[in-house]
Amino acid sequence: MTISYTEYMDLFDKQVAAYIPPRESWGPVEKAIYGVPDPFHLPPEEAQRLQFEALSFTFRHHFQNNAYYHKLCLERGFTPEELKGPADLERIPLLPDRFFKEYPAGRDFALWLANVMTGELPKIVIREKNPSYDQVIEAFQEAGITVCFSSGTSGRHTFIPRDQRTFNTSEYAITKCAVAIGYPGWSPEMRGYLMMPNPRKTHLFAGRVAMIYFDAISEVTVAIDREVSVDLLAKAMGADRSLAGRIVQYASRKTEKRMVEKIIAWLEYHQEKTQDILTLVGAPYLLAGVLEQLDADGKRLQMGGRAAVATGGGWKIQEGRRIPSEQFRTWVEERLGIPPKDCIDVYGMVEGNGWMTQCPEGHYFHIPTCYFKPMVLDKEFKPMGFGQWGRFAFLDAAATSYPGFMVTGDLVKMLERCPVCDRIGPVLEPEVRRAVGEEMRGCGEEVRNLVSSDMGS
Amino acid sequence: MFASAIYLRLMMRGIFSLLKLLAANPGDLRKLKERSEASGERYVRPPRRYELPSYDPVMKIIPSRRRYLRPTRFCNPYTPQVMALANSLGAHRLPPRQYAKAAFAFAKEKLYLEICPLDGVDQTLERGAGTCFHLISVFIALCRAAGIPARYKMFSTTMIQAWRSALVDQDPMVKKWYDSLGYFMIEGEGEAFVDGRWTVAHVGPTAERQASAGLPITRFGEDALGLWFFAVPGTLMIMESIPLGLGRGSRFLQRIAPGSLERVNLGVLAQSEAGLKVLEAAGGVEAYDRQVRVAMGPEVPTLDLEEKKGIVFAE
Repeated sequence: MTISYTEYMDLFDKQVAAYIPPRESWGPVEKAIYGVPDPFHLPPEEAQRLQFEALSFTFRHHFQNNAYYHKLCLERGFTPEELKGPADLERIPLLPDRFFKEYPAGRDFALWLANVMTGELPKIVIREKNPSYDQVIEAFQEAGITVCFSSGTSGRHTFIPRDQRTFNTSEYAITKCAVAIGYPGWSPEMRGYLMMPNPRKTHLFAGRVAMIYFDAISEVTVAIDREVSVDLLAKAMGADRSLAGRIVQYASRKTEKRMVEKIIAWLEYHQEKTQDILTLVGAPYLLAGVLEQLDADGKRLQMGGRAAVATGGGWKIQEGRRIPSEQFRTWVEERLGIPPKDCIDVYGMVEGNGWMTQCPEGHYFHIPTCYFKPMVLDKEFKPMGFGQWGRFAFLDAAATSYPGFMVTGDLVKMLERCPVCDRIGPVLEPEVRRAVGEEMRGCGEEVRNLVSSDMGS
Repeated sequence: MFASAIYLRLMMRGIFSLLKLLAANPGDLRKLKERSEASGERYVRPPRRYELPSYDPVMKIIPSRRRYLRPTRFCNPYTPQVMALANSLGAHRLPPRQYAKAAFAFAKEKLYLEICPLDGVDQTLERGAGTCFHLISVFIALCRAAGIPARYKMFSTTMIQAWRSALVDQDPMVKKWYDSLGYFMIEGEGEAFVDGRWTVAHVGPTAERQASAGLPITRFGEDALGLWFFAVPGTLMIMESIPLGLGRGSRFLQRIAPGSLERVNLGVLAQSEAGLKVLEAAGGVEAYDRQVRVAMGPEVPTLDLEEKKGIVFAE
């Protein structure tokens, strides 16, 4: 007999109770996130009311407690007094995502993080005279602030400081969105494979964010069970051209091969020896590596009906290996036997706590609008209607430790509702594109490029 | 880390990687020297965009030995040419900010970018062209001549993935060069101390060059960092003077790669011509700038690093 949705979500809330603040302390943000049983089946008026109350609260909080955001609001001529109804939300001043990519080094990096954060700080002690990024991040962590960073595929990491409240909210939200949309697929007895770095050993967001995975199911095996620091990542991504960097890049390639072999062994073991329900969560490129290896070995596993795949984080430096998501799902079915309905992707980013989750039926990204307002901007950065490609922007009520009102570098197309399933609320089309940036060449760069061309011709 | 230590580290790495690359590819050295006779195209410096005013000893310029006001390497603010120009731009007559804006506008829009060995501000003014460091030096000299403290801000920059994919990863040799020399990119800006704070001046590109790349026209006080340059962490250097070795390095480059430098300069001219057409099509510099800024979206707010309660720096 299938468990009812209410029982299912009650069971989930019980399982991840450590992430839920006491009900008596809930404000408008918590009510919009923890108090909503299903973020994708809320009546539109109810979703809009919760969203407005949560965003009004968060906007006022940042206006009052964050010096640079306060100044920005005054410069743009919009203050909390002018936020009178849902129609005014689109006037909330947005920050470009570049803002979080431009930071100094050493002790100034710690000051930068402190200034980015909204509100009072706990005591954070920086011991080193010229601390590395990792040392500053550790000092913040000791004080209970999780500083997550992006993979830095554009050449610069994004650093976002989350206090415990924001971090827990984000963790809860990502899992709730996946569990709700996958009803009744989740169970606390599931076993999982995390195709990302161990969340306890990294502050890389595409890793750290999966902390709750360990609490939501019974057992998790980790693909990358070593520390992944800013320094190591710079070396692995090719930004560090030193000998050490090259050694790390070589080691990364070797490690990926071993990781793929381990994942296949884990899948084969469970196929043959257990009846456990399984989940594979993580980066698509790593799963693609598994599929490639199965292709090469001519193997087909039969995991259908007892395993699900949830990918996220994009293809990063493996962008050249990217394949269309529909083709990816077909490949997963072909090699793992997992049908497309059990293979979903989650779209989110280090700057935000809104998790757009694909529905099993149509694979459109459903947006939890009760606390997260999505917008698509035109070429003049003004909000557009539905059905047009534009730059993705959002207002994130869950971000209380930094202003989560952001314009991203992604291009999306938003539809008023899913053309395939009956869930309520707007969706994004399955393929998200990256907006192409432009860069000016300085004279040093002019010389270098032309000399390069000469040498290469 | 001290700016000089950062600079020394960057120079050492740059020189080492350049020598390594040249040693590994001796045949390519010839290509760097080859001029453009085959195509028949030679670089001819465009005529100067201004008349240099003549110096009159009655001009009110008082040389100073104070830090950020005194003469430094390649930047003597107290030569007749600089003092005459400063005087014509309103030194000691205009309020400091207004004068600094005039000096910025001159250095940015009246001087051409031309890759050539580093030399003094006088020569740059005579020539009407120079590298970004020549142009910054002109701005700094003009400010110092007017009693406004001014300094250099230097950094290495990274390039976004799209740029790297399109220009570097396409060719194995280019990629090799990038891997070897990628961090040897020294970009710079000037900074003038006006109204109680250091104000940045990015004088490198003219309006037409920025237009050819679809960029907004930089204003006085507007940083290129975060807009199209991203400083490599730990490479930001604030200096009173152009550091030792940069001039010698530029002469070395001229010696080993004269052909390449000529082609760069031809490229800059072509870029300027293309940019002029863009500006014309947009209805002028102001109209173009307005359009581009709208399309760029919200500006990155300036984050002033202030002491914050809670952060403790242990001694």
